[in-house]
Amino acid sequence: MPLLDIDNLRTWFYTRNGVVRAVDGVSLQVEPGETLGIVGESGSGKSVANLSYLGLVPSPPGRIVSGTAMFDGIDLIKAPGPVLRSIRGKRISMIFQDPMTALNPYMTVGKQVMEPLLVHDGLGRAEAADRAVQMLESVGLQDAAGPEARMRAYPHQLSGGMRQRVMIAMALVTHPQLLIADEPTTALDVTVQAQILELIKQMQQRLGTAMILITHNLGVIAGTCDRVLVMYAGRFLESATTRDLFYSPRHPYTRALMDSMPSARKPGEDLYTIPGLPPELTSEIVGCPFAPRCAHAKDVCRRRPALLQEVAPNHATACTRVQAGEL
Amino acid sequence: MTRFIMRRLAEIVPVLFVIVTLVFFMIRLAPGGPFDTEKSVPPEVLENLEAYYHLDQPLYRQYLMYLGRLVHGDLGPSFKNSNFSVNELIGLGFPVSLELGLYALAVALVIGLASGISASLKPNSARDYVPMSLAMAGICIPNFVLGPLLVLVFALWLGWLPSSGWDGPLYKILPALTLGAAYAAYIARLTRGSMLEVLSQDFIRTARAKGLSEARVVLRHALRGGIQPVVSFLGPAAAGLLSGSFVIETIFQIPGLGRLFVQAAFNRDYTMILGTVLFYASLILVFNLAVDVIEAFLDPRIREEHRNHA
Amino acid sequence: MPDAMQNGEILEQGGPSGAEKGTSLWKDAFHRLGKNRLALCGGIFLAFMVALSLATPWLAPYAYDAQDLKLGAASPSAGHWLGTDTLGRDQFTRILYGGRISLMVGFAATAVSLLVGVLYGAIAGYVGGRTDSVLMRIVDILYALPFTIFVVILMVFFGRNMMLLFLAIGAVQWLTMARIVRGQVLSLKQADFIDAAVVLGYSRRRIILRHIIPNVLGPVIVYTTLTIPNVMLLEAFLSFLGLGVQAPMSSWGVLIKEGADVMEEYPWLLLFPSIALSATLFALNFLGDGLRDALDPRAAKD
Repeated sequence: MPLLDIDNLRTWFYTRNGVVRAVDGVSLQVEPGETLGIVGESGSGKSVANLSYLGLVPSPPGRIVSGTAMFDGIDLIKAPGPVLRSIRGKRISMIFQDPMTALNPYMTVGKQVMEPLLVHDGLGRAEAADRAVQMLESVGLQDAAGPEARMRAYPHQLSGGMRQRVMIAMALVTHPQLLIADEPTTALDVTVQAQILELIKQMQQRLGTAMILITHNLGVIAGTCDRVLVMYAGRFLESATTRDLFYSPRHPYTRALMDSMPSARKPGEDLYTIPGLPPELTSEIVGCPFAPRCAHAKDVCRRRPALLQEVAPNHATACTRVQAGEL
Repeated sequence: MTRFIMRRLAEIVPVLFVIVTLVFFMIRLAPGGPFDTEKSVPPEVLENLEAYYHLDQPLYRQYLMYLGRLVHGDLGPSFKNSNFSVNELIGLGFPVSLELGLYALAVALVIGLASGISASLKPNSARDYVPMSLAMAGICIPNFVLGPLLVLVFALWLGWLPSSGWDGPLYKILPALTLGAAYAAYIARLTRGSMLEVLSQDFIRTARAKGLSEARVVLRHALRGGIQPVVSFLGPAAAGLLSGSFVIETIFQIPGLGRLFVQAAFNRDYTMILGTVLFYASLILVFNLAVDVIEAFLDPRIREEHRNHA
Repeated sequence: MPDAMQNGEILEQGGPSGAEKGTSLWKDAFHRLGKNRLALCGGIFLAFMVALSLATPWLAPYAYDAQDLKLGAASPSAGHWLGTDTLGRDQFTRILYGGRISLMVGFAATAVSLLVGVLYGAIAGYVGGRTDSVLMRIVDILYALPFTIFVVILMVFFGRNMMLLFLAIGAVQWLTMARIVRGQVLSLKQADFIDAAVVLGYSRRRIILRHIIPNVLGPVIVYTTLTIPNVMLLEAFLSFLGLGVQAPMSSWGVLIKEGADVMEEYPWLLLFPSIALSATLFALNFLGDGLRDALDPRAAKD
């Protein structure tokens, strides 16, 4: 049984300029201990999709229009506030992109890491502090003056990498079953990115936590994930094991993404860019959302809804033409 | 922190010196004097009076004499109330103003913070619009309009409360409300604005993602940042509130410092004017310092800045 | 270097379209303002009040000092829409003339504070260094002056004429304006897009005219709009204490004071001028709030 089973999730934003269909009918499953990657450009809805079922999308203007998100027999979308809160931060944790702004500047690091333990596990201060110190140590946040000194530090006194380590400690201190990492390395210096990614992987293995890794960086996916979903304009266009996705991408968008990676080019060659821009999400898209930019698009692509369908074992794509064996 | 406070306290002295000098020469170089109105006073008596207050001496000597007394904390004798020193008059008026100010401050803080926070939690709802419209009214209806209106309704028409005086708890309700209303309005608007800004920040989303209750998110995570602008506003505001308001004290016939000052100004009571200006200025400076200290207490980043500068 | 020059030229040629974007920002702000109903009503009401005060000499049914002692204080009637005061003077006429003075003080004193504040702040921010710290130290000291007291002293000691009233009020209102302008100029001096303009070799004149002034203007306009009601309040407050406008001339503050003295018998004498003043203050504040929302692209984003 999957740990998390999301079905037909739609999150729309009701703004002054119309209804933005940020997430428009996505389904996914996460198995215990597995690492699922979601890759997509900024604005593709990958963050919103995950914030939705945790009740973290600001409403108004956001509204979950349809869908279920089953977690251990509970539909998170219909769950009352207290139930959702007892899961959030305890059994499902999040790491955000920018550790600069995601940590509370007015609170010491120690207090922030202790907080989930105090709220969810009902631990006493001393015990929570002990656990927090251990956790900070295991994410590599050491101080010459001892770990207690780190507990008393404020976020602004730490480097970006150190702050992200604090975020990780805070997210994992309650030993959650699922970790959602939303662009955990994007805001960091390149030299630190690999370290943080490695740390997340290590911690995840040690605690047996499943993870959804959200990123726009295919490179991050490659070394980390078991399975990958490719998201575009609020929908999933392709779903495959990491290996399959990199060795035999099927959807034209995925292939275009691969081609856009600078490493896919020989030195001196011009870089590849996908022509056009992602579609406006304020009007309903009937056919394939990628069709206007797709080199292989035909009339049928613009007319018929593009739905994920398996084209090989454990490999699904939403391209009508691939499904028809034309590509 | 102690060093920061010490340094700031040391800075207050030159500022006060500049203010004394400025005001001293401004009022002395202006035409007219404290004994102008007393037409019936024979010239010999006037001469005696002027000699008694050293008004017959050159201005710079008077200035130096004033400073000399000031160093010992002596604000000199009042020109008009010849039986009182300025220190005594301030000692009489200030406690009354302080009491009124504290009530008004309490009114302003309780109403302002509560409605501001509550509005920020449900923006663009009735819970936002109603208190914010009232706050706008509080800003647009000046206290010298509100005061008489409240007196008209609650004292003259309904007869529930006394219209003026300062004799018991009932007498303090209308003045405190009148004085506190505008401040409550400002605080409500400030609180709403800054709380909205803080609540939209990433670390609030983090706090929610941790599964904290909404109350804990607001009180533990948002409030510290959210009340910062209110604290900065409270410095000058508290100084103004505690030193009493001329208008309120005039409308309600309250024997506070504000009324004493206005009388002193009209009477050209030189020492009393200088004394009250100095007293008010010190209040403002001390409150501004208190604000800086509280801000540092609230925000570790400011604390660090102070440490580095000290 | 030649490359950089070329880029500079290309961008310089792109200037006109850049300027168009600049105006469209203002157009955009104007559009947003137009959509804000409260601000719009405020603006219209204000325009109406200004028109009324300009046309007062022709509109007013009576002379402002025409007394009818026999009539005394009469409640509103067909002959005197808003009643008469204790000296039998027509209240509607008095409010019209009072509004003229109140609005004039509001605008004139704000203009003084605007002029002084903008110049002072711009110089401090632009020159920077020691000049800046000295100038700002002065502002800090002045901030410590209890300035209502300061104005009271000024008015008591230096006669109660209108010019002095403008100057006294303007003199205490420019401090915040100076701080705003200085802060804005300082942050602009360090802003990346100014660096970019410098690197592209734009002239100092162009940078100041095209980049600095438009960016300072927004906050200045907003703060000016919000200064006017403050100034009008201060004037009314002084008049209430008997330190502002002198009889037989009147301002709303004077009328409110007179009304408050006799409110038990003749409540309309307090009520009508209070409504006139508060309604105008409402209008100005709504307009100011609307302008702030319209001119701050950050706040407008949603």
